[in-house]
Amino acid sequence: VLEIGFGIAAPIACRTLAEFGADVIKVESVRRPDSLRASGAGWMPLDAPWEIRRDTGASLQFTSSDKRSLGLEIDGPEGSQVFRRLVAASDVIVMNMNVEALESLHLTYADLQGVNPRLIHLNMSAFGTAEGPYRTYRTWGANLSALAGITELVGWPDREPTGIPLSFPDYPSGIWGVIAVISALLRRDATGHGCEIDLSQFQVALACIGPAVTEAALGAPPSRTGNRAPAEAPSGVYPTRESDRWVAVSVADDSAWESLCSVEGLESLADDPRFETLAERLANFDELDAVICEWTELRTAWECSVELQRAGVPAHPLFDHWDVLADPQLASRQFFRVLPSTRFGAELTYGQAVVLSETPANFTRAAPAFGEHTRDILKVVGLTEPEIDGLITSGIAHEMPHPGLRLERPYLGWVPHLLRLPWPDSTVDPAQIIFDRMSEQLPSHD
Amino acid sequence: VAPAPSDGLAILSGLKVLDFSETVPSYAGRIFVELGADVVMVEPPGGSRARRQPPLVTIEAGETVSAPFAYTAAGKRSVTIDYTSPGGRRLLERLVRRSDVALLPPDADTVHRRRIDLQTLHSINDRMVVTSVTPFGMTGPRRHWKGSELIAWASSGVMNGIGDPDRPPLAPGGGLADAVSSLNAVMGTLLSLRARQRTQSGQQVDISMQEAILSVSMEAGLLTSLEGQVQRRVGPRWPPGRPAHGVFPAQDGNIEVGAVLQRQWDAMAEWIGDDLGIEEAAMDVFRGSLLNRTQFVDLINTWVTELAGRYTKQTFFIEAQRRGIPSSPINSLAEALEDPHMKAVGGWEDVPLDGSGTVRMPRGPLAFDGVGMSVGSVPRPGEHNYDVLRLEIGLSESEMLVLRSEGAI
Repeated sequence: VLEIGFGIAAPIACRTLAEFGADVIKVESVRRPDSLRASGAGWMPLDAPWEIRRDTGASLQFTSSDKRSLGLEIDGPEGSQVFRRLVAASDVIVMNMNVEALESLHLTYADLQGVNPRLIHLNMSAFGTAEGPYRTYRTWGANLSALAGITELVGWPDREPTGIPLSFPDYPSGIWGVIAVISALLRRDATGHGCEIDLSQFQVALACIGPAVTEAALGAPPSRTGNRAPAEAPSGVYPTRESDRWVAVSVADDSAWESLCSVEGLESLADDPRFETLAERLANFDELDAVICEWTELRTAWECSVELQRAGVPAHPLFDHWDVLADPQLASRQFFRVLPSTRFGAELTYGQAVVLSETPANFTRAAPAFGEHTRDILKVVGLTEPEIDGLITSGIAHEMPHPGLRLERPYLGWVPHLLRLPWPDSTVDPAQIIFDRMSEQLPSHD
Repeated sequence: VAPAPSDGLAILSGLKVLDFSETVPSYAGRIFVELGADVVMVEPPGGSRARRQPPLVTIEAGETVSAPFAYTAAGKRSVTIDYTSPGGRRLLERLVRRSDVALLPPDADTVHRRRIDLQTLHSINDRMVVTSVTPFGMTGPRRHWKGSELIAWASSGVMNGIGDPDRPPLAPGGGLADAVSSLNAVMGTLLSLRARQRTQSGQQVDISMQEAILSVSMEAGLLTSLEGQVQRRVGPRWPPGRPAHGVFPAQDGNIEVGAVLQRQWDAMAEWIGDDLGIEEAAMDVFRGSLLNRTQFVDLINTWVTELAGRYTKQTFFIEAQRRGIPSSPINSLAEALEDPHMKAVGGWEDVPLDGSGTVRMPRGPLAFDGVGMSVGSVPRPGEHNYDVLRLEIGLSESEMLVLRSEGAI
């Protein structure tokens, strides 16, 4: 699989393909780098040399582990020729490029089909390549959520919309990308033909909220409801005995309501005429919330959750990320992973949400440094060592800069322990340690 | 109805899916329909309770429609079988024997009571891929805990950073956790089907909604927490404290803008100069990476707010895009339904409902060799009993009569 990916959508799709067995080559340019290589490097001092800083983003671990990296400029004749040899030797190419960029770099299906008729060609642009007014528009995920009506749906009914702090629909686009590629491979297994797949991330966003869009199309557009779900009462987030610690409770049907009424301290709900039927509970929602709050405020978030779940009521503490990292449920399923990394020694990432019983995901290495595998990959497509040296000297191919440099994430010293432990009491400034260590290793001209 | 690329074959034509899911992951069944598979929804006689899943919308003549059911069931075929009866059970086994995939309901008790668990299904057909979506997955100390859309978000750490400081944390709405979990279910099922070409056997796909949400929320605070920042609820401006990036008020509503990259900021600075006469915006001190501009966030966002206030959200969108700046209006769903691009690319499908009339739904986001996705109609309960049981399974007319009189179909 060849990936020319930026940010999340194409990279996350290819990461999944890699962890389920594909050899994924991330083809990267110095002039148009994947922005996640540099993003999330908040721990590194601002005056760290850019050449190093631009390749330290921890985010990349979550989008590009288990891939190999090829540094190659494909917009000139020599680089383009090398790239076409790679295309000829590949099954799949995955990109998330604006239509204009796709055309100017000669990466359309029409450009590449002749090189490899079995090729599966997937591009995930914001609006697809069909003719329409936004065809060449540029967006971030948040723009597509806003355009599709997702942003407007999230928040309190009496306030401005809050929106979601996620790069949505980047991730579901990545999942759709894997769905598209595997479907096309299944068909190619049977027919021998490759194909062109055009994905519209805008349509991914609309498809994800299909039920709400359908509701609106039926003439009853849903509005912002805070944490309340349609026709569920109680449903929401309740305060606990702990400061700014909350518990989520969902009572979706009458049987869950009966379970709730069986919980010690909540028995009075059963006989309360205000709450007899769902219609009455919805009409008296605020009063019902007040009764639940009185009960939750006497307990911790975990105490509430355990007591409610024991009675069969869906409930859960509102986790923060320390809870997530230390969660025994996630630990028992090995959700988080620490993978070997050439430059960092070890890197933290999460695993796959897809858990297969017989052919599980295989995690072997952290995301590659920029150009880490350039030489190996170019050899495989038949280039000689002098040819490779020539491409590198002329700036068309790139190897990993400072191959001897070793860095360390400030949190990798303790995160593996945290996976079961609370927030450690650290008094050192990890960023300074890293910077000192890095300065010693760097050649003086940097 | 299936997408038919240039060789005339739907992309997953021939694949047979049995959908027992009712709620989550019923959207996974719809995606298989969009890919051209044959998806048979097995309902109890009289119809699945999912047909009443809220929100219910009243349409003409006092009839109500479940919006989530209509969306997720569209294009599936419906058979009604009481497979707790011996005759119904034998029938179900024949369906299992000929199918490639089973989509199970999220509740383990229901799965075992109905004897559609992995072991039972594999004892009938060991090539079957059996897919489950559960709140926390099928292993681990909380595997029996009950869940919901809200609880998927609560258990993922994401909510902790959404909302206003003076109110409880907020969950995203719109059924996104169900959608993301169902997408993972389809992805896992397809990976298993391709592995089956080599292994010749089926397997279990185990999707945890908690993990599904975690795997789409890397930037929601995990990394910043690790790097020592405290995650806070900051209201509607996300990401917090970013210059020319986030929500700004236009004349008739809000816009979302993201002048993040160097060239995008340059275009924004030029626009600020053109419209507001503030030439300083183009000064070198604001150029470079976003981090360089962050120290001037208040000044820059004052300019962008003033700029946005001169436009409607639609005119701001068009002008920003003309200048190469990522931007969009913050639309209501009603506005999204009127979106000119969706109209131009044929992105909507008018899907016949099981009673009368049609409803507009967004098509799936893929086109294979230029052919887009479509689903067909929402089935009535048992609409395809005759096609599936009589014509395909091969029951005789008299066998059908007997099963019907026993209440098994």
